[in-house]
Amino acid sequence: MERAGIPTALLCNLVSIAERVGAPRIVRTRGIPYPTGDPSLDVDAEKRWRRELVDCALEALQTEVQEPTVFEAGQARVAAAAGADHA
Amino acid sequence: MALTRLVHQVREVGFGQRTSFADGVLTVSADEARGVLADEALASVQLSWVSPGQSARIVKVLDAVEPRSKGPGGGGIFPGFVGPARPQGGGETHVLRGATVVTAGFLPRAQEALVDLSGPAAALSPLGATHNLVVEFTPAEGAPWERVDAALRRGALRLAAALAEASLDAAPDAVEELPSPSAGARGGDLPRIGVVTNLQTQGSFKDVFVYGRSFGAGLPTLLDPGELDDGAVVSGQFGHPALKNPTFMHQNHPVVDELRRRHGNDVEFAGLVICPEPVEQGAKELISLFAAKVCAAAGFDAAIVTKEGGGNADADVALKMDALVDLGIQPVGLYAEMAGADGTGPSVVVAPERATAMVSTGNYDHVLHLPEMEKAYGGEQFALVKAPAAASFEVPTAVVYCALSPLGWGRIAARSG
Amino acid sequence: MARIVHYINQFFAGVGGEDQAGAGPVLLEGPAGPGRRLAELVAPEHEIVATVWCGDDVAADKVDEIVGLVRSVDPDLVVAGPAFTSGRYGLACARVVAAAHSVGVASVASMHEDNPGLDEAGAAAVVASGEVARRMAPSLERLAAGIQRLLAGETLTAEDGRIGAAARLTVVTDDNAATRAVDLALARLGGDSAATEIPLPRFDRVTPAAPVADASTVMLALVSEGGLVVADNPDGLESARATKWLRYPLEDRDALAAGDYMSVHGGFSTAWANEDPHRILPLDAARELEAEGAIGELLGEYFVTTGNGTSVANARRFGVEWAADLRRSGARAAILTAT
Repeated sequence: MERAGIPTALLCNLVSIAERVGAPRIVRTRGIPYPTGDPSLDVDAEKRWRRELVDCALEALQTEVQEPTVFEAGQARVAAAAGADHA
Repeated sequence: MALTRLVHQVREVGFGQRTSFADGVLTVSADEARGVLADEALASVQLSWVSPGQSARIVKVLDAVEPRSKGPGGGGIFPGFVGPARPQGGGETHVLRGATVVTAGFLPRAQEALVDLSGPAAALSPLGATHNLVVEFTPAEGAPWERVDAALRRGALRLAAALAEASLDAAPDAVEELPSPSAGARGGDLPRIGVVTNLQTQGSFKDVFVYGRSFGAGLPTLLDPGELDDGAVVSGQFGHPALKNPTFMHQNHPVVDELRRRHGNDVEFAGLVICPEPVEQGAKELISLFAAKVCAAAGFDAAIVTKEGGGNADADVALKMDALVDLGIQPVGLYAEMAGADGTGPSVVVAPERATAMVSTGNYDHVLHLPEMEKAYGGEQFALVKAPAAASFEVPTAVVYCALSPLGWGRIAARSG
Repeated sequence: MARIVHYINQFFAGVGGEDQAGAGPVLLEGPAGPGRRLAELVAPEHEIVATVWCGDDVAADKVDEIVGLVRSVDPDLVVAGPAFTSGRYGLACARVVAAAHSVGVASVASMHEDNPGLDEAGAAAVVASGEVARRMAPSLERLAAGIQRLLAGETLTAEDGRIGAAARLTVVTDDNAATRAVDLALARLGGDSAATEIPLPRFDRVTPAAPVADASTVMLALVSEGGLVVADNPDGLESARATKWLRYPLEDRDALAAGDYMSVHGGFSTAWANEDPHRILPLDAARELEAEGAIGELLGEYFVTTGNGTSVANARRFGVEWAADLRRSGARAAILTAT
């Protein structure tokens, strides 16, 4: 998809594998069986976490990257401000 | 700690009235052996010697143990199982070289492993060249599988100790004084090379024991290589036949042997670090960083990193190699390749990023044509190919016991052609 | 004189563009499209006796049919492409030559080194083409030279422009792996910074696509390898080693109710996903962001497969197909959830 010009945000827990196979934009999640959730939270908190993940994915999709880059949900703006080259 | 191995070469085996060892002949009393193996989780056991050159195949191979003893009653051998869980690795250890005790049969989650005693696959497994006392078993009715597994493990280790006990009074064929690494102390100008060995600790039937305890919740730690000799690391890991490290391979760790052999010549043996191999990314990262820290504290210039198991275990090697490079230690990873039958697939599931020195232990998917055998042990069928166990069939190298040994035993590799 | 069959796509056959991407395969007599120039280059020794074309959308799945047509004219060699960097076309070319090679027909494909199809050619030869169709003339010249050499019974090497991974063949070594590992460590410590027995795998490393300038103005897609399908899995998505992907509508849906969806993924416990499907596909959060204007628009369907022991070959095909599909529907970016 990237080669066809469609930027992707990959939401996954096994970040080292994603980096090694070269996924450009990686958003770290909390567990293999629930990429966009966290069953240890109550319903509202889990919804907020999911919202943060998707916020972070949007941030990633709007960020210029040269190599596999990991984005941390809840810290997306911090990471961008800390030096990611914002498009 | 210095260890002396008193090596007794086993040249001939058989059954007899009493268990004895003399002039290279190991005789086993089947009754005594059955007594040693007796456990309420096992209804019965069956014993057979299966030797090199025979038209024989062992299937559903579980663990293999080299008979060893440090004295009457084992003298502390296999600490945590036979001897008390106390540090070992010093003094004298009697070794019956050329013989093994092998358990074979069905256990849940165990992947079907195979050993041929003749034909093209014989040279691919360490058990193709040893006299193997095969223990087949019938579980007791209603016995939980975990209990059956535990009974087999304890029984095989006790039997291995009992066989070696017969050699305590015999004159050894060779006396091997083994150097011990001195962690952190730089003795000279030789490069300090150590080994980092990952143990696949992933739950029941995929577990490895250190001093009798599952190493699953452990952190990387230095072990004296002599502790491996004395059976401090015992395998209960039955996945990935070609990529597993049975107890026999830990007792005879090829990288440890190599570093001992070259110690003082072109390398200084810097030490052995063992690590668990968890299933979760965060734990893999923590353990990798921790292992690198231990290697740095022990003054490694270079580390040989070994694994156990398939795809996700590649990540443990890759993460450790990168963590080592980041601390200025040169890593070399032992990788089995998964390149497809024609060798053209991407061959390494997870390669390191910053570290790049890798040794190939062969292609998992390389196809072998196995001839028909006169007799099979361990089971009636080889389920993967839905054929009688002794039949002629084609299998990937992946099913041959230790054929792609992650500890570096094998003499095959994949090369770009 | 050797008999050659040429495989090309619908576009180079002059049949049509995306409108004909579902057509074929079709067998034509003699050369067609770029095959006309290729025929001149290999004449008079050799002749292109037939051309097979197939639409890009269906070719990768119709390889058996394509190879059947190719073999019906009993060729001495099959040539495919040049496919340049075109993903679907390259995949088809690679699979056609791989299949032909495996049944003993000499074969060669032509594509750019970055073509995602390259790794699918198996043990068949691939020679480098230019990046884009503008480079057709020099690409055909190199391909023609490769054909001549293959038909002379020779093997193509990097000097002929051969690209792709060399096969990893099993060899017996003098020393065991432990000895070789210590030797390699000493070589590295001695300053040989490149020494290794395994070249780093070519994981088809992609140059990242340009970011979207402003997510609030574009259409975004949700895609997943988490095996999330509608209840009872009526379309039979596999739990492991998937060979297909599925699409399910999201129009008029703001949320995914438990019970309406389930995960069939065989690699983990699906209890959490089944309890709340948003744990695999974050539709609720994405709809919220769409309502707030942070996302321009969500694509009206999601794509899903199972990523569990799935072959790289199939995964690559799913990616190529998803990209083509998203481009057609106007989606410009995707959120991909992975388990």
